[in-house]
Amino acid sequence: MKAVTWILRLAATAAFAAMAYLIYSILDVNDIWHWNAPYTFVVTVFRLLSLLFFFMTVTMVNSVASIFSGGTIPNDLVIGLYNTLILKMWYMQPYGASGPLTNLQEVWTSFFVNLWQVLGDLWNNTFLFLYFLLAGIGIALFLQSLVRMNHKFVGGAFLAIQSIVVLASYRALTVPDLTPFPTDFVVFLLQRAQLLALVSFAYLELSYQMIYSYSVGKPVEDREETLKKQLLALRQATRKQDAIERGESVRTTGMSRTAGATAFSFLREAIERKVVGTQDALENLDAVADVRRLQIYVDELLQSDSRAHDELTAKAASPSSGYIIGSTIIGSIIRFLSVVAISFILMSPGVIVVLLDLPPGILNSVEMLQPEIVLLLLVPVSLLFPFVSMIISWMSQREEPEKPKLSKEEREAEKVRRKELARRKREAAKARRERARARKKRKSSEAEKDEWDKALEDTYGSA
Amino acid sequence: MITQRGFVVVFSGVLLLTSGFAFINFYLVLLGVYLVIGLVVTLPLFALTANLAGIEVDRQIDKVKIFSGDFVRVRVTIKNASRRHFDFIEVHDQYPETWILAIGENFIASRIEPGGNITFSYILQARMRGRYYLGPTEVIMRDRLGLHYYKRTLKEQTEILVYPTWKDVRRMEALGKQRQLGLMFGAHRTKTVGMGSDFAGFREYVPGDEFRLIDWKTSAKRGDMVIKQFEMEKNIQVICMVDTSGSMGNGYPENTKLEYAIRAAVLLTHMGLERKDLVGTCVFSDMVHGYVAPGLSMNHMYDVLEVLAMAEPKGWSDYETAIQYVVEKTRKRSLIIWMTDLEENPAPLLNAMKTLVANGHKAMVISPFGPWFEAPVGQFGPVEKVLAEAVSEELWERRNKIARALARFGITVVNVGPEDFLPTIIKTYEQAKQRGVAMF
Repeated sequence: MKAVTWILRLAATAAFAAMAYLIYSILDVNDIWHWNAPYTFVVTVFRLLSLLFFFMTVTMVNSVASIFSGGTIPNDLVIGLYNTLILKMWYMQPYGASGPLTNLQEVWTSFFVNLWQVLGDLWNNTFLFLYFLLAGIGIALFLQSLVRMNHKFVGGAFLAIQSIVVLASYRALTVPDLTPFPTDFVVFLLQRAQLLALVSFAYLELSYQMIYSYSVGKPVEDREETLKKQLLALRQATRKQDAIERGESVRTTGMSRTAGATAFSFLREAIERKVVGTQDALENLDAVADVRRLQIYVDELLQSDSRAHDELTAKAASPSSGYIIGSTIIGSIIRFLSVVAISFILMSPGVIVVLLDLPPGILNSVEMLQPEIVLLLLVPVSLLFPFVSMIISWMSQREEPEKPKLSKEEREAEKVRRKELARRKREAAKARRERARARKKRKSSEAEKDEWDKALEDTYGSA
Repeated sequence: MITQRGFVVVFSGVLLLTSGFAFINFYLVLLGVYLVIGLVVTLPLFALTANLAGIEVDRQIDKVKIFSGDFVRVRVTIKNASRRHFDFIEVHDQYPETWILAIGENFIASRIEPGGNITFSYILQARMRGRYYLGPTEVIMRDRLGLHYYKRTLKEQTEILVYPTWKDVRRMEALGKQRQLGLMFGAHRTKTVGMGSDFAGFREYVPGDEFRLIDWKTSAKRGDMVIKQFEMEKNIQVICMVDTSGSMGNGYPENTKLEYAIRAAVLLTHMGLERKDLVGTCVFSDMVHGYVAPGLSMNHMYDVLEVLAMAEPKGWSDYETAIQYVVEKTRKRSLIIWMTDLEENPAPLLNAMKTLVANGHKAMVISPFGPWFEAPVGQFGPVEKVLAEAVSEELWERRNKIARALARFGITVVNVGPEDFLPTIIKTYEQAKQRGVAMF
């Protein structure tokens, strides 16, 4: 199974690379792939911050100075001091200020003028930055998906790369598009945007197939690995106990945590019981005895039953690689063809016109050329599939009747047991009632007495 | 049913579709349509093939009755009785929560061919006595891309009866072996002088003694007639009354008062059988749940274990009903050992003891004292500590009253904690043997 997973891993990598390249090349005409875009973005952010900081500092110094100067705007001396003491120490020049200032009004004018410019730059740079960020996230998630085999990473990588196109569309850049939607199926197939969509879909398909191939073979491999670790850990623990009993010194690294103790909850619990329960020597004895008994049990089992090892590892459950490859190729081709064909039918305005008898008002309207027209068929068609599958599963539901759990004799025995139980209960209740009645007859004058004292007096008399 | 992975596809599809609508971009719309159609297009085919009724699960276990702490191998065979491939099938075989998965895994995920089967096994350790069920088995089938799934729970369960632990018996046997004294180590034989074949000693002749008992050789040496005495071993009859009322279930899990009482009963029965004494067991609370008459049959131990395995701490202690039942069933004089926490009303207990004594039986009470089985006082905060001590004192005072009341019937009450429960039962048995209480 590992070979199949590797083949699919390579195929998914190729699909991802093709998807990424197509998006890169299609968006390249917009001249957005400036490799210094992240740097420019970061610098712009800092420049904006420095501008805000500069403005706030000047305003605060001015306010403080005006307190000491009797509420009047401080003279140039203060500005001079400010320039000397603050700006000289400040190595990052505020945006728009190229040298020392002599008037506070200049500061504020400069701030308001430059703020909008900086914000505009920031807005533009943010998108450039986001393209790179999304590309980076996409690649990182893609690499993760190859190792971790988790659909979340596959989905994340796919969405991150496609989000670049979504953002570029928002910025009204030149993006892959199919406007106007072709009416000829062959033309549709050869369109570059369609190829990109197909490659993107192929990436998802191949990645999911890769995860399937991995997960269908992995549990069996894991079982074998886990069993090996468990048996090794068990053997080591038993030997360690033997060594302790013989009075030999034992290395504490006899069983590494990674080698199996962590994967072996039973042994871990036994060890913990031994370590934690130091107060109770018998508990320690039990823990040691449990490990040893398990060792004996496993040894006997493996010796007496030749299939025991294979059953513990479920070796026979490992699927054949040939079938996986064959079914993956056939399944994927069928899915691709059906998806492309159905999607073309759903999206092509010509097909909609043929299929639906639309009124002339709609037929000749501009709405026919809008993307939303796809909903006309997409919604019913996409709901049709689950509906059909629901009917199929309902019709093919061949639930076997639940087998009666008990045989006739067992049922009879159960009935007798219940009757006997009920009889005993009844008798016990009757006897209790009679005893209670008898007790009531006896005079009980001392109500406040302790019940035990009362019982003692009842038994032996008040003397 | 759509899986989490399927929902990611749906979300992506809707996102792309709405983006395409918003920015009038047919590429985004096309990709969204691909995802939505890609998700649903194989659904009918999957529904057609995923008929989980074609999956049969068979579970086999080595033994249906085991001791607490024993290991058991569970073999699960999944068979595809249909004519379809199951691309991805997950099988989770469930086991009782209190048990420990010792070796292997109770889970398998694989694909299964038509008519094919998968067998996997795992080893469990049963931790607590009682009646348990393995199963049900959960079968999940997914499509290849993991976008859809069907789930079915197969309700077939396998019953296992877990006897109380045997470790006390093992420990006692190990102790005997270590000392090289065998199983009778420390045991006192109950003897009756006069009959039997074991020589006991000499005594002076008194008129009426049989002539054949005169030892002429010794008489010649002593110059006076001497009778040779013989003795024979007598066995005793003990009945263990195990109280299973709700209060007996208090204490740490696996170390409740009831668990100790059950362990003590097992130990006592085993010791009795080893020494050919008759030991019976009665499990009761507000009614008699089970009674195994004293006996020496081959299956006696298993009968006792079965009754004790089923014991559950619930209800209240009806001593009168229990003793009435036992007295009716027991003709011979017996030593009745009560294992009860004495947390019920005193009058019924005293009445029960009256009945017991009136029928010629002997009795003693081995009573687990509640506070000794619960959390140590050191673990409490100051307020809880004071409360715990107050409650403890109150209970102790009650116990003293009980002990005084029962002493009048010649019944002793021994208060025990987890540490001395089992030693006390051994001691009680040995003393009974020594004194020859309830011989038959």
